[in-house]
Amino acid sequence: MRRCRPVLVGFLAVALSVLAGAQGAGQNQPAAERTDLVVWGIGLGPDSKGTDAALREFERRNPDIRVKTLTMGAGAMDPQKLMTSIVGNVAPDVISQDRFTVSDWASRGAFLPLDELMQRDQDDPLNPRSDQYYDATWIEASYGGKVYAIPSSADNRVLYWNRAIFKLKAKELRAAGLDPDRAPQTWTELLAYSRVLTEFNKDGTLKRAGFMPNFGNSWLYMFAFMMNAEFMSADGRTCTLNSPEAQKALQFMVDGYEIVGGYDKAKSFESGFLGRENDAFIIGKVAMKIDGDWILSGLARYGPQIDLGASPPPVPDDRFHQRGAFANEPNKWVTWFGGFSYAIPRGARNPEAAWRFIKFMSSTEGRLIDFDAQREWDRRQGRTLIPRVSASEEYNEAVLKRFNYADKKFADALGMHIEMGTFGKGRPPTVVAQTLWNEHVKAMEAALYKNKTPEQALATGQAAVQRDLDAYFQKDRYPELDLGVPVRIGILLALLGLAAAVVWFLRQQLGRLERTEAKWAYLFIAPWVIGFLVFTLGPMVASLFFSFTQWDVLNEARWVGGKNYADLATTDRAIMLKAFGNAAYLAGVGVPLGLATGLLVALLLNAAARGMRVYRTMFYMPAIVPGIASAVLWTWVLTPDPNKGLINAFWRETISPWLGVSPPGWIQSADWAKPALVLMGVWGAGSGMILWLAGLKGVPTSLYEASSIDGATPWRQFWSVTFPQLSSIVFFNTVMGFIGAMQEFDRMYVMRPSKDGPVGPDDAMLTPVYRLFQDAFSFFKMGSASAIAWIIFAIIVILTAIQFKLAPKWVHYEADR
Amino acid sequence: MITTNLLYALGTLAIWLGWYMLFRGVWFGFQLFTGPATTRDANRRAMLTSVALAALGLALGWLLPPMRETSTEGVWRLPIVWFVMPFTAWGAVVALLMVGVRFVQAAQALNGREALGKHKAAGIWLLVAIGFSVLYFREPANTIAVLKGGIPFGINTAVVTLLLLVAGVGAMAFAARSTATRGFAKGIVVQAALIAGSFVFGLPFAYLLITSFKEDRDMSSPEGIIWVPRVTERVDYFDPRQPMYEASLNGQMVEGVIIEELDADRVKIDIYRPLSIRGVTMDTLRSELKEVPRKAEVVTANADGTSIRGIVIEDFEDGRKKVKIQQPAELKDQERIIPAGETEPVRHIGLNVRNYPESLSYLPPETQFGLVYLKNTLLLVVLSIIGTLFSSSIVSYAFSRMRFPGRGPLFSLMLATMMLPGAVTLLPQFLIFRSLGWIDTLYPLWVPAFFGSAFNIFLLRQFFMNIPMELEDAAKIDGCSYLRTFWSIMLPQIKPALAVIFIWTFMGAWNNFMGPLIYINSPENMPLSYALQLFASDRGGEPGYLMAFATLTMVPVLAIFFFFQRYFIEGVALSGLGGR
Repeated sequence: MRRCRPVLVGFLAVALSVLAGAQGAGQNQPAAERTDLVVWGIGLGPDSKGTDAALREFERRNPDIRVKTLTMGAGAMDPQKLMTSIVGNVAPDVISQDRFTVSDWASRGAFLPLDELMQRDQDDPLNPRSDQYYDATWIEASYGGKVYAIPSSADNRVLYWNRAIFKLKAKELRAAGLDPDRAPQTWTELLAYSRVLTEFNKDGTLKRAGFMPNFGNSWLYMFAFMMNAEFMSADGRTCTLNSPEAQKALQFMVDGYEIVGGYDKAKSFESGFLGRENDAFIIGKVAMKIDGDWILSGLARYGPQIDLGASPPPVPDDRFHQRGAFANEPNKWVTWFGGFSYAIPRGARNPEAAWRFIKFMSSTEGRLIDFDAQREWDRRQGRTLIPRVSASEEYNEAVLKRFNYADKKFADALGMHIEMGTFGKGRPPTVVAQTLWNEHVKAMEAALYKNKTPEQALATGQAAVQRDLDAYFQKDRYPELDLGVPVRIGILLALLGLAAAVVWFLRQQLGRLERTEAKWAYLFIAPWVIGFLVFTLGPMVASLFFSFTQWDVLNEARWVGGKNYADLATTDRAIMLKAFGNAAYLAGVGVPLGLATGLLVALLLNAAARGMRVYRTMFYMPAIVPGIASAVLWTWVLTPDPNKGLINAFWRETISPWLGVSPPGWIQSADWAKPALVLMGVWGAGSGMILWLAGLKGVPTSLYEASSIDGATPWRQFWSVTFPQLSSIVFFNTVMGFIGAMQEFDRMYVMRPSKDGPVGPDDAMLTPVYRLFQDAFSFFKMGSASAIAWIIFAIIVILTAIQFKLAPKWVHYEADR
Repeated sequence: MITTNLLYALGTLAIWLGWYMLFRGVWFGFQLFTGPATTRDANRRAMLTSVALAALGLALGWLLPPMRETSTEGVWRLPIVWFVMPFTAWGAVVALLMVGVRFVQAAQALNGREALGKHKAAGIWLLVAIGFSVLYFREPANTIAVLKGGIPFGINTAVVTLLLLVAGVGAMAFAARSTATRGFAKGIVVQAALIAGSFVFGLPFAYLLITSFKEDRDMSSPEGIIWVPRVTERVDYFDPRQPMYEASLNGQMVEGVIIEELDADRVKIDIYRPLSIRGVTMDTLRSELKEVPRKAEVVTANADGTSIRGIVIEDFEDGRKKVKIQQPAELKDQERIIPAGETEPVRHIGLNVRNYPESLSYLPPETQFGLVYLKNTLLLVVLSIIGTLFSSSIVSYAFSRMRFPGRGPLFSLMLATMMLPGAVTLLPQFLIFRSLGWIDTLYPLWVPAFFGSAFNIFLLRQFFMNIPMELEDAAKIDGCSYLRTFWSIMLPQIKPALAVIFIWTFMGAWNNFMGPLIYINSPENMPLSYALQLFASDRGGEPGYLMAFATLTMVPVLAIFFFFQRYFIEGVALSGLGGR
C-alpha cells in the first residue's frame, strides 16, 4: 500500500481538479433568463436546415423560450426512457411520438389532453384544426374522444424496384414468363421475380436479393392488411392477431425469405449494408423493396442515376383478380401508413410553452418555414428537395404547389405515395399499441426463423396482447387499493419493532461497561440497520406486496391476488422459459468453457519460468474492461460482414475454405447470438485464471512429489491429481454463473440489434432480469415485474440451499489445500 | 449417408492419430541416439510401435473411400470434421464422456469406497446424458449434420512444414539429453503457447485501438482486415469561394461558413464544428468573424493524360472533385474538375488521431466535450468509495470486535441478504427515490453506498477477526474511545482488504449502467457508461468515432488496473468466484 500511496493521492488530486474544473465550466455559462423547453425526438444534423430554421423562427417569436432538442432514442420505439421520466416527474416538455402509440400513453394518463388548449386558442391562426388533417391521422392521435397529440408526418409504403436489374435479367425474366418492364403485382409474381433476380455467391452467401419481405419497411402489418386481417376487434377489447388472414400473410413472408436462402442468411446479408452512395438498393444488392417516402430524398441525393420504379405493393392474387374472399373488395391495392406527432407528457414543466411550440411547428406556416429553408439549402447544394407527405392536408396542398418536378422518376415515386394514400390503413389505435407492435415483431421473427409455425407464433403473441387488454378493460373486477395504507402500516410496524427492540435491550442484564459497549456498537451498525430497513427490508416487503397487484404507478393500484404468477406460468410461460433457458445456456456452456480456458492458461503460467506477471496482466486485462465498453467493442468485433468484423474476417480465411461454412451472423442471428455472448464471456474470463492460479499453487506439492516419485508423467499427474478436483469446482461455478446470468442485463441492452420487439433475434439475448426491466420500466407493470423478481429470488434461494447441502462434499477439497 | 460421414470422421481421427504417432516415433528415434544406453531398448520398442501405428493410421485415413472423394489433385489436406448439433446433443456427448471418465477412475480406485463414489458419479452423469437425450429427441426438428473438410496445404508448404516439425521434435529430443538443457524444450513450448494466447486475447483490444485510429475508408475491406492505419494527407487551405470562419455562439467557439448575407453587417453562419451542433445556423456580425483554414485533401489524379497531384478544393454532389494542382510545376495553381472515382488520395502510414477530438465534439454541447460525463462518473466513484469504505468498515468492526445483545441474529440476517438479488428491490427503490424527487439526479446512484454492503462487511469481518485481541485491549487500557480504537488502531490493520474493496467499488461505480439508465435523463447528469451506450446507438455507423470514445472511457480503468494490479488479483482470489 505504501508504494501505491503517491499514485492514489495523484488519482484523487486529478479527480478533484476535474470535478472543480467541470464545476467552474458549468458556472461560466451565461445566466439563463429564458425558460428551457426540452424537446425529445428531434435530431439536428448537417442537413436538417428546415427544422433548424423553424426552431429559430419559433425562438425569435418567443424570446422567452430556448428550445433544447435531444434525440434520446425516445419517441421512437424504446419507450422506457419516456415512461421513466414521466413517472419520475422529470418529463420533457414536448415529445415527438410515434403516433400509433398515442392511445397507449393517453390511456395511462401519460399525456396531457390538448382539447382545452385548442378551445382556448380558437382565434389563434396557428391553432391546429381537425379539418386540416387527414381524418385517420387525427383519429390515431386521439383517445376516448380527446385529442392527445398533433400529427406531424404521415408516411405510406410502396414497392420500389430497380429497373436496371430488371433489364439486366430481362432474358431470364422473359424465360420465366415475366415482363421485365413492369413490377410484380401479385404475391405469386413477386416471388417469381424474386426467384429470378436473386443471386448467390460461390460460398453460399447472397450476392443480390430479389426481394426480402421485411427489408425496407413493411413488417407483417403490410401483408396482413393486404389479406384484410384485423388486429383488433371493433370494440378494441379483443386482440385478433392470430387470424387466418394474418397467418397466410406470415406464411407468405416465410416463403419470400425461402427464396433468398432463409431469414438468417438474409439478416447476415443485410448486416453488411452501408449507407449513402453505397446503399444496398442504389448499388443493386436488393432489386425490390417495400419502403416509405422518407427514402426518396436520399435516393435523389446519393443515387440520382438510379433507374427507379415505384409501384403499388403487390397484393394477394385473389385480391388482384377480385375473386374468392376478395370478390366484393372495392380496393385493389393496400398500403399502411405511420407517422409521428407532437404531444405534451404529463408532468411537463412548461406545458404552456410546449403548446406554443406544438402550435407553431404543426401550423402550415411553421411547416412551410421548415420546407422553404430546407429547399433553399438543398437548392444551394445542387439538390432537389423531395417533400415528405405530412399529416396536414392543407400543408400538403400548399407544398405541392411549390414543388417543381425536377426528375420524373422521383416525381412519379412521390406521386405513387400520394396516390396510395387513399388505400392507406393505419395500425389499430388501442391501449396496448406498443405491446401489440412488440408481439407482432416477435411473432414475425419466430416464424421467419422457423422456430414456430406462423399459427403458433401469432397465437403466442395474441395471448400476450390479450392479457394486457384484459388487464386494462377488466381492471374493475379487482378491488382498488389505497397504497398509502400499507405504507403507513409498514412504517408503523417498523416503529413498533424498533420500540420493541429498545425495550428488549433495556431488559437485558448487562453491566455498565457492557451497556456502553453495546450502545457504541449499535451506533456503529446503525448505517447498515437503516440501510437494511430502508433499502432492503422495506422494498422487499413492498415488492412482495406489489407482486399481488396490478399497478402502473400513474394510476390506482388493484389487488389481483396470484394472477401475476399465474400469467407468468401460462401466457408468458414460453417467454419466461426462454429467458431462464438463455441464462442456463450462458452459464452451462459459458462457465465451463471460461473455466477450461482459465485452467489452460493457468497451467501454462504455472509451468512458465519467467514472464508470469506480464502474461497474467495480458490475460486478465479483458476482465476489467468496463462492461459497456466491452459490449461496444464486441459488437464491432462480431460484425457479421467479413469485410469489417474481426472474427468473421478470420472465419472467411480459415473455416470457410476448410469446412465450406459461410461466416455466421453472430448477434444478428438467432442461432449464433448466444455463442457470441459465450465467446465474449470466455474472453473476459481472466478471473477464472487467477482462481486456478491460486488453486494450483494451493495444491499440496507433496501430492505432486509423491506422484512423480511413483513415476507419473505430467499428463498423468494432471489427470489423477488436478482433474478429480475440477468437476466440483465447475459445478459450483456453473450454479453461481446461472445466478449471475439470470441477472445479466448491460451487455444485452447494448448489443441487441434492434431496440424494440424481441431482445436479440428471436429473444436469444433475453434474460429474466431483462424481462423484469422491460415490464418494470417500459410498461410499468409493477405487479408482473415484482413477481418475476420473486421467482428469481426463489430460484436463488433453492440453488443456494442445494450448494450448502452439497458443500461438505467440496469441503474435503478445500481442507486438502 | 451416415456411414459415409462416420467413415470420414473415423478416417480423420485415424489421420490425426497417425501424425501424432509419427512425431512420437521421431521423438523416440532421436532418443535412440541421444538418450542413455540403458533406455535404448525401451526407446526402440516405443519408436517401432509408434511408427507402425502411424503407418496404420495414415494408411487407414488415406485409404477410406470418403477421404479420397474429397481430396483435390496437387493439394495435401489435413482432414477435419465437425458436428453441427444442438446443444442438447453436445450436452449428452459430454455427459457420456464423463461417464467413461468416471468408470476409468473407478477402475483405478485404491479402495472400494472410492470406487463406489466414482460409480455413483458415473450414474449421475448417465442420468444427465439420458436427460439431454430426451430433450434432444423430444424436438423432432433436431438433426446432426457432419461438416467434412480439411486444411489444404500446397505440396511445397506441406513438405516444408513437415520438415520443420520433424526438426523441432528432434531439437527437443536433443535438448532433453542433458539435465542442464532439459527445461529448454518445455520452456520454449510454454512460452510460445503463452505468447500465442496473449496475442489472441489482445487481438480484440488491438482491433479496438487500431479502429479508433483508422479513417472511414479503411473500416471495410474485402481483402481482409486492415491492420496498419493510414491517413490522408491534408493541407491548410483558405477557400476563397466559401471561406471558413470562426465565431462565438453563446460563449462557445464554433466554425462555419456564411450561407446568407442578411445585411451589410450581419451574416448567417452554417455551423460545421463542433459536430454536435453541426447544421445549426446562427446570425452574427461580420466584424466578429475570423477566417480559419479548412483542411483540404491531397490527391493524385490523371488529367488529360498527365498525372497530377493537387488539393481538392470543391466536392460536387455527384462525386466529381475540383482539384487545384500543385504538381507538376508547369500546371501549378490551375484547377481541374476530375470525374467521380478518378482521384486517388495521397495517404501515408500514420494514426488518424482526429477521431478522438471529433468523437468528443459529437457530444451534446452542454457536456463540455464529455468533461461533464467524466465529472459525473468521478463524482459517483469518489462518493461511492468513501461511503462504502466508511460504512462497511465501521459496521464490520462492530460485528466482529464488539459484543452486544442480538449480534448473532443480526449478523445472520445480514448474511442472508447477500442472497437477495438486486432485482427484488429495484422497483420499490425507484419509487422511494421518486418520492424523494431524486429522479434525474445522481443521488440514487451513490447514496446507498453509505449504508454498507453485506458482502464487504462479511469480507472485512474475516480480516478484523484475525487481529490479535491484545492490540485492542492495549488501546482500551490507554483510554481510547471505541471510535478512536476503530479509526487509529483497527483500520490501519486491514488496509489490504480496504484496498480490495476500494478497487471493487471503483469498478462497480465506474461500470454501473442500469442505474443511470433508469434514473438519469439529462446529459448534464449522465455518467460515462450511459453516455457511451447513447453514443453507440447514435453513432454506431461510425466505428472510428465510436471506438475512440470507447477507448477514452476505458483508459482510466486500465490505468488504475496497472497501478493496483496486486489488489485486483487479490480481490478475485478473495471473492472466490471465477469463470465469468
